Amino acid sequence: MDMNQYLSMFIDESNDHLQSLNEKMLELEGSPEDISIVQVIFRSAHTLKGMAATMGFEDLAALTHQMENVLDLVRNDKLKMQNFIFDTLFKSLDALEAMVQDITQGGEGKADVSSIVTSLQAIVRGEVPNEDGASGNAGSNAPAASTEAAISKEQIQLDEFQHSILEQSLAAGHRVLYIEVSIREDCQLKAARAYMVFDLLERSGEVVKSHPTVQEIEQEKFDRSFSLYFITEKDPEELRTMILNLSEIEDAKLVSIDSDTLAQLAEKLEKEEEEAPAAPVVVEAPPTIEPVAEKAAADDKQPAAKKVVAAPSRTIRVDIERLDVLMNLFSELLIDRVRLEQLATEIKSQELTESVEHMGRVSSDLQNIVMKLRMVAIDTVFNRFPRMVRDLAKSLGKKLDLVITGAETELDRTVIDEIGDPLVHLLRNSVDHGIESIAERVAAGKPETGTVNLRAFHSGNHVFIEIQDDGKGIDRNKVLASALKKGVVTEDESRSMTDEQVYQLLFAPGFSTAEVISDISGRGVGLDVVKSKIATLGGHVAVTSTLGEGTLFSVQLPLTLSIISAMMIRLGSEKYAIPLSSIVETGIIRKEQVRNVHGSKLIPYRDAHIPLMSLSKFFDATDYSEEDEEETEIVVIRKGDRLAALAIDSFIGQNEIVIKNLGKYLPQVQGISGATILGDGQVALILDPNALIK
Amino acid sequence: MAEQIKVIVFALGNEEYGIDVDKVRTIERMMPITRVPKTYSFIKGVINLRGVVIPVIDLRGRFNLEESEYTDQTRIIIVAVGDMEVGFIVDAANDVVDLDRDNIDSPPEVVGGVKAKYLDGVAKVGEDRLLIMLNLAEVLNRGEVAHLEQLED
Repeated sequence: MDMNQYLSMFIDESNDHLQSLNEKMLELEGSPEDISIVQVIFRSAHTLKGMAATMGFEDLAALTHQMENVLDLVRNDKLKMQNFIFDTLFKSLDALEAMVQDITQGGEGKADVSSIVTSLQAIVRGEVPNEDGASGNAGSNAPAASTEAAISKEQIQLDEFQHSILEQSLAAGHRVLYIEVSIREDCQLKAARAYMVFDLLERSGEVVKSHPTVQEIEQEKFDRSFSLYFITEKDPEELRTMILNLSEIEDAKLVSIDSDTLAQLAEKLEKEEEEAPAAPVVVEAPPTIEPVAEKAAADDKQPAAKKVVAAPSRTIRVDIERLDVLMNLFSELLIDRVRLEQLATEIKSQELTESVEHMGRVSSDLQNIVMKLRMVAIDTVFNRFPRMVRDLAKSLGKKLDLVITGAETELDRTVIDEIGDPLVHLLRNSVDHGIESIAERVAAGKPETGTVNLRAFHSGNHVFIEIQDDGKGIDRNKVLASALKKGVVTEDESRSMTDEQVYQLLFAPGFSTAEVISDISGRGVGLDVVKSKIATLGGHVAVTSTLGEGTLFSVQLPLTLSIISAMMIRLGSEKYAIPLSSIVETGIIRKEQVRNVHGSKLIPYRDAHIPLMSLSKFFDATDYSEEDEEETEIVVIRKGDRLAALAIDSFIGQNEIVIKNLGKYLPQVQGISGATILGDGQVALILDPNALIK
Repeated sequence: MAEQIKVIVFALGNEEYGIDVDKVRTIERMMPITRVPKTYSFIKGVINLRGVVIPVIDLRGRFNLEESEYTDQTRIIIVAVGDMEVGFIVDAANDVVDLDRDNIDSPPEVVGGVKAKYLDGVAKVGEDRLLIMLNLAEVLNRGEVAHLEQLED
């Protein structure tokens, strides 16, 4: 069988399971007594094991198997969860993650897990010395004639149809019996005896399924016993006596089946199908389950199973590349639309204009949908943080809670892929530098446990991600002193700086305030990387802080990276696009309003003066200069809280533009962030206002 | 039996040059080029090639030859090296020839004003035709470009 087509599915699902394992383990750590969480963990691990074995990833299966053994003891109350068990299990999860990662990158998923396996085995042995690992455990239930054990032993499998018949009969108030008949060893005509049993049963009910099949039984292709599902209204005891009354019948076992057991059987059936190729590893697991535990599990399982069934019908997994192709095609369409709009205005035909307008509306709806397709909940980034923060806090000897809100906030896939690392950095920073040690917190009259809030929310065309801690806050003087020492700012500059400006120094390259360099953060690289990363995503970071009360990092990101609204402008014969998001307003100024101060030009704007930049000079435009004009159109742009005016030739209008890069060959061009294709097929460059304001 | 390769032939000044046909994506007539400010003078700008923005280099400028007016014969050869796509503006492109790899000799120091490092070799076609094979990786080497720029400053 070609496994490749299942590989991507396996990887996706493994990641899902690993994620839920991580989450549930954290939950369990919060309430170690809650067996229902253990059940969920056990099931995830079990499914993962089955999948791994099916796909032939032996190490993965072996490790999950050992984890399962430990969890099995826990959920059967034979083992109490303790810290070292959590640590070992978390370590196992890390190893599993690494293996799945390896598989994702085309590897074999092999890893040396012997040390973890040994410690897992030690947990199993050490805590329950009377039992010899998992296999000893398996024996403990064997003599009990529990329903589950008896049925699963015989491997009698119902298909969906038969299952529903049984279900309906139960619902209609009939009895469903599982009957196992053994024939005496010295019997000469087994088939005949079996026929008599069937004959007898058929008279008082209906045989739904037998093992071996009726044909096989008729041909005497069975050992000494056969089993069957039977629907009847008679009393089981009465039936049993009737069967035993036939000659040469040694024994007949009758088990009543209720709807719960039936559901369990179906569950088992699904499992077995899933794990069929992994039979030698897996089969031993189900019989070890104590009936009570199994029942509890079954109750849980039903809703869980429903969820799994419901999900595929509502969502499909799509290769991200296909979405990119869709996006590109849509971009082409958008360019044509702009072209059509231009033509329509030129031709001035009423009907053409109307249909182009209609097409415009349809395509903007389409744009919304295409954009939404690319949206992913930020949860996919956030979900690894609880684990990370836990490990971090533990290694630093701090106590803290991570409170996540707005995990359902959606962002463009490209942003999601990039934003993880910067956020990790900011979180580490908060945990390491923000939150104080327990002793310090107590001394400051704060609760021992620190809190880090991680929030995401939409606002306008942007998404905000905030990381807020209730730690010691940023000490302005300390930052300034350090910045002076490192020559990042001069003494003069430092005096006039606002708090916000001082905090921004944290993001300067080669800056770190930590007195002790820890392996978590504080190597002086990091925050500057964070800032530049976020800047390349078209966003920015703001910091607010109150000394002694905490710090807030606020990351602002654009909703999407591929289509933006822009103002098209003309500079002589050249056209440029300015992103609307950084335009404050547009206007006209007269030549005499421009003042020269220390060689730079300033214009009055509201109550202040802002610098006026000549775009034609900056870009060495050949056929335009605003010097020759009495009145000049200006665009006021913004970077953070700084404003500047750009002198341009004339406005063309506002457009939705598709961002394209300039090609790999071109080096970073100052003041240009990309290009777009206009309706007439020409390329226009997109200004990067951030680079224009120093 | 030596390896046969197909080569696109283009003209630059009085010389004929060759590029392995595998490296050539398409050959286009002159089209509107959008100037990109604040970059090297031989980068003429970017073009829209069926929805993809591609930078265009004047090969004369790249080799420090005198730049000339564009004519009806002027072509843009789009080449792909690694994951880079770049357009070369050349005087004309009008031939494809088959070459034996054995017929390519290592280049002399300077051919037609182009330094040897940009060349893969010189190939003899027929009796009296010499074809200068370009080393595309070196022509598109940006480190080299930065170095050049420093010398000019």
